[in-house]
Amino acid sequence: MRQTRRHGRTLAWQALICVCLLSIWQWGYDLHGRLPWLVPDLLDPYFVSKPSEIFEHFLILSCLKSKLGVFNGWFNGEFGRCMARSENNLWIATAVTLKNTFFGFATGVSSGFAGGLVLGRSDRLSAIFQPFITAVNSIPRIALAPIIVLAFGIGDTSKIVTSWIVVVFLVFFNTFEGARSIDEGFVNAARLLGASEWQITRTVVIPSTMAWVFASLTPAISFALIGVIVGEFIGAERGIGRLIIESEARAEASGMMVAVIVLMLVGVALSALIWRLQAYLLRWQQHNLAE
Amino acid sequence: MTVQAINTSRSVALPDMQRIDVRGLCKTFQLAGAAIEAVRDVSFNVRRGEFVALLGPSGSGKSTVLNMIATLVKPTSGQILIDGTPVVPGQATPNVGYVFQRDTLFPWRTVADNIGYGLQLAGVPVAERKERINACLKQAGLQGFGNAYPATLSGGMRQRAALMRTLVVEPQVLLMDEPFGALDTHTKIDMHDVLLRIWEREQQTVLFVTHDLGEALTLADRIILFSARPGRIKDIFEVDFARPRNAVKIRETPRYAELFQLIWHSLGEEFIKGRSP
Repeated sequence: MRQTRRHGRTLAWQALICVCLLSIWQWGYDLHGRLPWLVPDLLDPYFVSKPSEIFEHFLILSCLKSKLGVFNGWFNGEFGRCMARSENNLWIATAVTLKNTFFGFATGVSSGFAGGLVLGRSDRLSAIFQPFITAVNSIPRIALAPIIVLAFGIGDTSKIVTSWIVVVFLVFFNTFEGARSIDEGFVNAARLLGASEWQITRTVVIPSTMAWVFASLTPAISFALIGVIVGEFIGAERGIGRLIIESEARAEASGMMVAVIVLMLVGVALSALIWRLQAYLLRWQQHNLAE
Repeated sequence: MTVQAINTSRSVALPDMQRIDVRGLCKTFQLAGAAIEAVRDVSFNVRRGEFVALLGPSGSGKSTVLNMIATLVKPTSGQILIDGTPVVPGQATPNVGYVFQRDTLFPWRTVADNIGYGLQLAGVPVAERKERINACLKQAGLQGFGNAYPATLSGGMRQRAALMRTLVVEPQVLLMDEPFGALDTHTKIDMHDVLLRIWEREQQTVLFVTHDLGEALTLADRIILFSARPGRIKDIFEVDFARPRNAVKIRETPRYAELFQLIWHSLGEEFIKGRSP
């Protein structure tokens, strides 16, 4: 009972903060003429647009409204025609960026995980590869994006590769550390109960590394998104990053803001997904916390 | 005539067979460049179905001896035979179960899944697995805790579950490394009763490492006393209490006090030796 009341109060505060921030964004610059010392120049809608314009631009970019300001009916075919005409409308851009993010993330996580497990469990291999990994890891990976676009073209492949390269090391290092820090007591217990090497890997090494792997997945998903967006900045035909570049070329702050807000929503949704998965797969840890 | 010959050969082979045969076992550890002699020339036998305690102060190498028998540690020299076959370091010996000092239940598996682990490895069908897990839960007094995760259990319950994880695959030989060392006195005595009941029924061959003389007297048929480092066998005592034993009542008998006195003195000497550098 008290919990719900406290929760309700928290929500009320959050709503209030949202309303305040949006109001300042929307109307704050109107005061600039009279109170120039109070309102910073950065609030100029030329740079940051304003919520009403952003919403308007969102409707246009998503083909829900035509540029003339007329609402597109769902059934008169105008929406469909707009979708067909604008090849980088918000829907397609989001779908393309999401798809590339997913593939970059999936390949990065699986290869980083596999590599981390193998090297983490083998002293010899980790000794051999250690200097190479340290060297490559000290390159800011995002700096490789132009080279990758050059090598793989402006299609989806270059975005996936950029995304992969920023994700793979993150997951690799976490898995590696996890595999190194396995309690040998668990491995011995499994071995003495007759487990083969493969069974030990499957039933002991992987579950006990999971907590480490999951710690890297939330940053990994944002990294994957960053990789794709940077790839799209450098050269792409479609995608949200492309949308930002187009709006920037036209000095359209509202268009950029639409893209940024969509990215924010995508990021939040993906993190929530990972969080859910983690809560399920690592449910045994909840009990540790409870004690 | 022929039938009799077969019978004779069998009856000769079975009762006299040594389950565990340890010969001239030595172990030297290399620690930071220094060689530390942990075990020196240890030889002993354990008969089929016998309960033997390895008793000694900490650092007397008794756990090292057990771990060498369990194939967890490679001997520097010497031979270990189980049922006449040499054990291979790093390779689990069939029919040999091991109970760790600290419970090594997998925290990501429920109690039931922990107990069923060995059966799962062996590919036992789910239905049979479930049945045997339930029997074990009941035996260990853990009914209703099958779906709990180990972190939610008390130390005694965890160690019972760990014991069941080893026993569910029905090993003929049980190696135990101070399994109740971390428990409080009452829980410990409860566990002694649990173990005695199981052992009286299943008649496994048990090798039990402990530094607790009371524990060794309560459980064992024979106590092998280890000296302070380097570990050697100092003395061997027969513990001739009648079976079945009661873990609480046995401590009140005069014979218990007598044996306790006898071994206590010898053990105490080693504790003092182990303490001085």
